[in-house]
Amino acid sequence: MIRPERCEINRYLGYRSITPDDTVNSLIDECISEAEKVIRPAYAVKYLDVCAVDEDILKIGGLVVHSHGLYRNMEHCQTTAMFAATIGHGVDMLIRRAEIGSLLKASVLQAVGAAYVEALCDEVNEDIKRKAEEKGCSCAARFSPGYGDLSLELQKDFERILSMRQQLGITLTDSLLMVPSKSVTAFVGIRKGKCSTAETAVNKCKDCDLYRDCSYSKEVRQ
Amino acid sequence: MKGIGERLGREWLICDGGTGTFLQERGLSGGELPETWNLLHPDIVGELNRKCFEAGADIVNTNTFGANRLKFGDKLEQIVTAAVDIAKKARHDAGRDNDAYVALDIGPTGKLLEPMGDLSFDSAVEIFSEIVKIGAGAGADLVLIETMSDGYESKAALLAAKENCDLPVIVTNVYDNNGRLLTGGTVETTVAMLEGLGADAVGVNCGLGPLQMIPIVKRLINCASVPVVVNPNAGLPQMFEGKTYFDVGPEEFLRYMEEIAAMGVQVCGGCCGTTPDHIRLLADNIKKRPFVPQTQKDICMVTSYSQGVEIGKKTVIIGERINPTGKKRFKQALRENDIDYILNEGLRQEDQGAHILDVNVGLPEINEPEMMEKVVKALQGVTTLPLQIDTTDITALERAMRIYNGKPMINSVNGKQEVIDSVMPLVAKYGGVLVALVLDEDGIPNNAEDRIRIAKKIYEAADKYGIPRKDIVIDGLCMTISSDTSSAAVTLETLRRVRDELHGNTILGVSNISFGLPARELINSNFLTMAMQNGLSCAIMNPGNEPMMQAYYSTNALLDKDEQCMDFIGRYQSYVPFSKLGEVKADTGAAQTAADEKSQASGGAVAEAVRRGMKEGAAEETKKALKTRPSLEIIDNELIPALDDVGKGFEKGKVFLPQLLMSADAAKAAFEVIKSSMQGSEQNIKAKVILATVKGDIHDIGKNIVKVMMENYGYKVIDLGKDVPPEVIVETAIKEDIKLVGLSALMTTTVVSMEETIKLLREKKPDCKVAVGGAVMTQEYADAIGADFYGKDAMATVRYADSLFGA
Repeated sequence: MIRPERCEINRYLGYRSITPDDTVNSLIDECISEAEKVIRPAYAVKYLDVCAVDEDILKIGGLVVHSHGLYRNMEHCQTTAMFAATIGHGVDMLIRRAEIGSLLKASVLQAVGAAYVEALCDEVNEDIKRKAEEKGCSCAARFSPGYGDLSLELQKDFERILSMRQQLGITLTDSLLMVPSKSVTAFVGIRKGKCSTAETAVNKCKDCDLYRDCSYSKEVRQ
Repeated sequence: MKGIGERLGREWLICDGGTGTFLQERGLSGGELPETWNLLHPDIVGELNRKCFEAGADIVNTNTFGANRLKFGDKLEQIVTAAVDIAKKARHDAGRDNDAYVALDIGPTGKLLEPMGDLSFDSAVEIFSEIVKIGAGAGADLVLIETMSDGYESKAALLAAKENCDLPVIVTNVYDNNGRLLTGGTVETTVAMLEGLGADAVGVNCGLGPLQMIPIVKRLINCASVPVVVNPNAGLPQMFEGKTYFDVGPEEFLRYMEEIAAMGVQVCGGCCGTTPDHIRLLADNIKKRPFVPQTQKDICMVTSYSQGVEIGKKTVIIGERINPTGKKRFKQALRENDIDYILNEGLRQEDQGAHILDVNVGLPEINEPEMMEKVVKALQGVTTLPLQIDTTDITALERAMRIYNGKPMINSVNGKQEVIDSVMPLVAKYGGVLVALVLDEDGIPNNAEDRIRIAKKIYEAADKYGIPRKDIVIDGLCMTISSDTSSAAVTLETLRRVRDELHGNTILGVSNISFGLPARELINSNFLTMAMQNGLSCAIMNPGNEPMMQAYYSTNALLDKDEQCMDFIGRYQSYVPFSKLGEVKADTGAAQTAADEKSQASGGAVAEAVRRGMKEGAAEETKKALKTRPSLEIIDNELIPALDDVGKGFEKGKVFLPQLLMSADAAKAAFEVIKSSMQGSEQNIKAKVILATVKGDIHDIGKNIVKVMMENYGYKVIDLGKDVPPEVIVETAIKEDIKLVGLSALMTTTVVSMEETIKLLREKKPDCKVAVGGAVMTQEYADAIGADFYGKDAMATVRYADSLFGA
């Protein structure tokens, strides 16, 4: 069973430098145990060829993707893994129920769900990385539709290529949000040879448009 | 030739194999929609159809699995008509005009239905109706709805087929290894719902290979009364060089299918990865085996989207609290459209142990059909319990039954011919378990003999309307013993005779028995025990009434309906006997006094409870305070200052979101107490505001936080919910003369809807201010789309509203 770090749940709740008090802590415990009963982790991975066609344009499998952010992330890559992961509908239902009676509980469940799906992604990512390294390759930081200037329209391609609906039960709304809400799609670029840790270090924060005033940032700023 | 309807369930029928795999081999690329080949390569599609007919398939599907308006728009008619024509020509070419059938194939829309997704049930029915009309018009012999992983979508498709053609309809679903649909339904709940809606055969396809399907097939055979269809994949999908393939060959496939056939199914075929060769072997061998028709099952089941409650085994508790009769606060909630209050009543009863929830929202001054639809939709978004739709308004009943996600219970019909003729056609169409009151044009009989006579009449009427007798539950009628002391005996005799002579199920509104008496729960709980012993199948009651629940659990234990007494022990292992109850109470009393003194010292018990985020405490203290102080004084001197303290702490970064929410929840609970006490009297509100999550956005917790905070600070919030189109927001703003609208958006893509909404508001309601917020919002964004204010959190929005309307 995937298990996120407790501090991740706290971070999603807005706690950074301090820890929650006993009341909130025991509610977090309660929400984790409720969530664990209904979480159904599932994911799918496929590998596609990548080539940089022109400045800010990548060809990924049969797709032509225009994005400055993804280009910078993958310009040196030859292949990419694309994956989708979800923890299922259960947590969404728990959140809907909680919202009627307790906003606090609904928020804690949101945080717990987010932390679980992120932990699942970390696991999938780790697996992709391990397999790449076995072949003497290295991976770029994972990059999702909606990061920076990478269009959400790509969700439709993820849905089709990964058979997200049939394989994972993830569907898209008209505005390209995923249902279940605790689902993630992402690319993990793969390049031949090793590269410096600085180059591959996960720093989702610095590349984000909301870097300046995000309350979920992993960095503790004054 | 014989119609398929004459053969289905009476002899072996074989379905065709996979389509996608065949077309891919012929060059269909990953990104191409297979249905386009009906126009581009009719010869290849025809070849596949012909090969299946030649191989011995009796039912061959048109190449229309993904054909719907969402994918093909105006081209739909051309594509579906072509598919039917191709299949009919293939049948002719194969020489099977006289003994094989063309099935209009219908797959899922690709969208998820509300409340999980964003496709409304009515839109789904429309989408499917269009396909059915075209396909039936083009001459298909039957409709095959397949690969449905959502029970609700299966219902939409089946309803569309039944409403738009007279052809037989087969429905097959995709179950996982545990026999569950993606959205949670089980084999048993899905079959109950589909049979209720009139499916001519049910079954399973795709997702699994034949071996993995065996346990599911067993369950299908055990619960279905209509023929069972089994169309597995050629094993589980395997990956090789990025491509998916299936590795169970024709011989191996046949081996498993022979096992499945021997279990007693009536129709079999294949799905992904199965080829005409698989089908040939299947047809050649299965048809030689003895054929066993499905038997009628005597299962009375009510279902939600994910749970089934079987009636007739252990007495079922139906929660009666969603009902305005005699409840002022509930009536107020109905008038004010306060759905959350109603949902809360539902969830509370679920926690207390109800198995089914009765839903009655009838009030003369409201639009009952609209309210019923709204409440049923909202309830099935948050509870897994099945619902009992309780109304005398036929329009409300039909609307609720239509959008209900499962097989509901219906309350009620009676022996009056007029009522029978208005209610039963709906039950025959949508399916449901029908409560039947044993009264008629002459009123309520005062003896069991006449009540049984009416029950028989209702059973006969059900036969006439094609409603299975197992789906009728007889209400033996509970009349208070305070006006006629023999009434309980008559009721009990009626129950006993329905069970023993009619072999039917029964139901009672148990607490009616004590109307007009003191200490009603004493009479009620004892009567419940007696009724259960006389065979009561369903008790409509308040699961929050502890003496009745005690009677319920004790009686089950006594009647050998509680294995090893586990339920009883689980519930009452720390039970405190009456004789010791006094001591315990005295203890807590002392502790309470100490607590009271302590909170008094820190200035107002209500304020303290809110500050500390104690929900129950806040409600309790408010109740106490209301005995001696006016409600407005409590709001002004305790609630608001406490909220302000916490709010200021939050703004300064000393209090974190969870604490703020805890206090908000506690304040909400306190306000709820005050609201109940102020019924009828005018409540002070600062202003009416609209809150909405804009079109395209379906997540709304942020907006809900703002809502509770605003309400706590004295604003009347019109909550338009999520995914709200600009027009609805603007119309409401004009109609209610709103001066402040709060909009929330979660994604950059939906900020566009926010901008549209603001533009439209500026044009149509220029005196209205707009505050925006949400995960992606920034001051820059807010300025760019022309908002008046950017609320970085709920407190900021409250402060802004106060600056407009005065604190």
